[in-house]
Amino acid sequence: MPLSTQPETGDDQYVLVASLDNVRNLSNILKAIHFKDHATCFATTNGIKVTVENAKCLQANAFIQAGIFQEFIVQEESVTFRINLAVLLDCLTIFGTNSLPGTSTALRMCYRGYGYPLTLFLEEGGVVTVCKINTEEPEETLDFDFCSTNVVNKIILQSEGLREAFAELDMTSEVLQITMSPDKPYFRLSTFGNAGSAHLDYPKDSDLMEAFHCNQTQTNRYKISLLKPSTKALVLSCKVSIRTDNRGFLSLQYMIRNEDGQICFVEYYCCPDEDITESEL
Amino acid sequence: IPTYLNCILKKAMFGRAIHAIARISDEFWFDPNEKGLALRSVNSSRSAYACVFFSSMFFQYYCWTAEPELCQKKRQLPLTCKLVMKSVLPVFRWLNTLERNVEKCNIYTNVNDCHITFKLFCKHGIVKTYNLAFHESEPLQAVFSRHMCPNVLKIQSRLLTDIMIHFPTYQEEVTVAVTPMKVCFKSYTEEEIDFSKAMHTKIHLNPDEFDYFQIGVDSEVTFCLKELRGLLGFAEATSASVSIHFDVSGKPIAFSIEDMMVEASFVLATLADIENRESSQQSLCLSQRQKRFEVGGKRCTGSSTAFIAMKTHIRASEYFVCTETHFIKYCIFQFHSLFFGAVSLKEQDVISHTLHSLATASDAEDDFDNEQLSQVLYGCVILKRLLKFSFS
Repeated sequence: MPLSTQPETGDDQYVLVASLDNVRNLSNILKAIHFKDHATCFATTNGIKVTVENAKCLQANAFIQAGIFQEFIVQEESVTFRINLAVLLDCLTIFGTNSLPGTSTALRMCYRGYGYPLTLFLEEGGVVTVCKINTEEPEETLDFDFCSTNVVNKIILQSEGLREAFAELDMTSEVLQITMSPDKPYFRLSTFGNAGSAHLDYPKDSDLMEAFHCNQTQTNRYKISLLKPSTKALVLSCKVSIRTDNRGFLSLQYMIRNEDGQICFVEYYCCPDEDITESEL
Repeated sequence: IPTYLNCILKKAMFGRAIHAIARISDEFWFDPNEKGLALRSVNSSRSAYACVFFSSMFFQYYCWTAEPELCQKKRQLPLTCKLVMKSVLPVFRWLNTLERNVEKCNIYTNVNDCHITFKLFCKHGIVKTYNLAFHESEPLQAVFSRHMCPNVLKIQSRLLTDIMIHFPTYQEEVTVAVTPMKVCFKSYTEEEIDFSKAMHTKIHLNPDEFDYFQIGVDSEVTFCLKELRGLLGFAEATSASVSIHFDVSGKPIAFSIEDMMVEASFVLATLADIENRESSQQSLCLSQRQKRFEVGGKRCTGSSTAFIAMKTHIRASEYFVCTETHFIKYCIFQFHSLFFGAVSLKEQDVISHTLHSLATASDAEDDFDNEQLSQVLYGCVILKRLLKFSFS
């Protein structure tokens, strides 16, 4: 453990203790869901899930499994608290975002339970910073009830294929329309902006397509302003799984490889914007 | 679907052309005919004009139909569409990735719903389709005959780029001074300049640096660098040399590139010394000023001593003829105007109609006046990017 100062009290009074040699393995993945300042954290022995929501229509979850941490102890069955994500990220990157090669910031994160602050010990090059972030009352998060048995269409793409598409999205369009179909156009992203419409078609035999399981033609619209923040996760990820269920709910799962080669997942759920009639397709 | 224009092209040169003419204006014309496709643009103050023409040979496949029946029925001229640059630039946004990722580009139009479609076939089988709205508008072209110019220079585009790179990006205008012995490109600076801050650049070239060198008259002309930079960006994609045609100050200067399949021509207004060249006209203009002012100078009452903008529209033959006369009390220099003619006219017609002075500038009015007014407010003594159409 590179930390030179130990907490004054024993670890046993903390309900959550997590240590990490390279804090960027945590901060990078939290950045992928940072589109709102308030996040809810759930910790179980499996790891931590951080949830951010917007407009009761979008939910993003970052999963940091216990294996990512060098030390991970949860004393209770589950530990839940709400925290200001912007403040947490500021603290995690207090030594700067791009450290020199070969140097990394170590983290020890402790939480005593309901009503206590989250305490961070950050160490780099023998300098230790202690941050205490007040936790907030946890709020109930949305249950999208997105069950894999109800999935109608599923595509796994290499992320590079979507990166340019999301960077170029015509933000004058209110919606992003996603078409998934066993027949042409297979997978299509459409926008309808001031200048006109734009369609992006991916053939199912493209070398970017890792998996293509579409059972029925589905066209759904999603608020572009809600989906645009997922670009943050897309940029970090190597693969993305795009799924829709029978209600038109969208699930985007991003596979993110961290600096130590470990895999983490970030997931976005989004409600469809509205029912569209056949004539509008 | 009645398709008027359908062409397939491979090269990112097309994207570069779009970027080059984006330097001129935020709108451009897409003007296809049986020989090929022309992209034309005129800036809002009508002091710069760009045309890039792709011959049908440039395209893998090029099909153009005038469909005369339809034209008659709808009283249409053959397809001419005016597009907003802002909507087209995203299609060709990143030139580097365009060159790397785009294998083929397919452009076609559908007149019935006034849409033009750009279809990009990219790596990994991705197909991008952009349906952009256009409005029908008669394109203009600068009335300018290169063969009348006494001075002609031809220079490798790379060399010209290397010369222009020495001028800082904030340098707006450059002067080229020529004698039969040498050519000098130098920074143009306005009269009252802070010399402690200003950097002056002068580059002298010998006649043997040029592929072709013909100086009929010693002259010194000043033009805007922005548009030329656009042309040079485009020239990078070709290995062709740049021809420069010009006359004395006040007359337009033309930069052109001619390749096997592509021709690009940028015509720019040059600065003229009004005091010298138009002192004889001044009294006449001033005597007419009060009368004209009441016609057109609705915004200028407060600043009438300093500035008068005047615009009248006279309907003559088939298009609007526009005259604009602008005065600034202390004005010393101004960019001379370019004359514009409708592309649909035969060249001879355009020249014979020059006295009727051809331009439509109605849509530029507001920007124009605001721009000029703000210049007056800032006490600017140099009037830039102005044009003057005279009926003398």
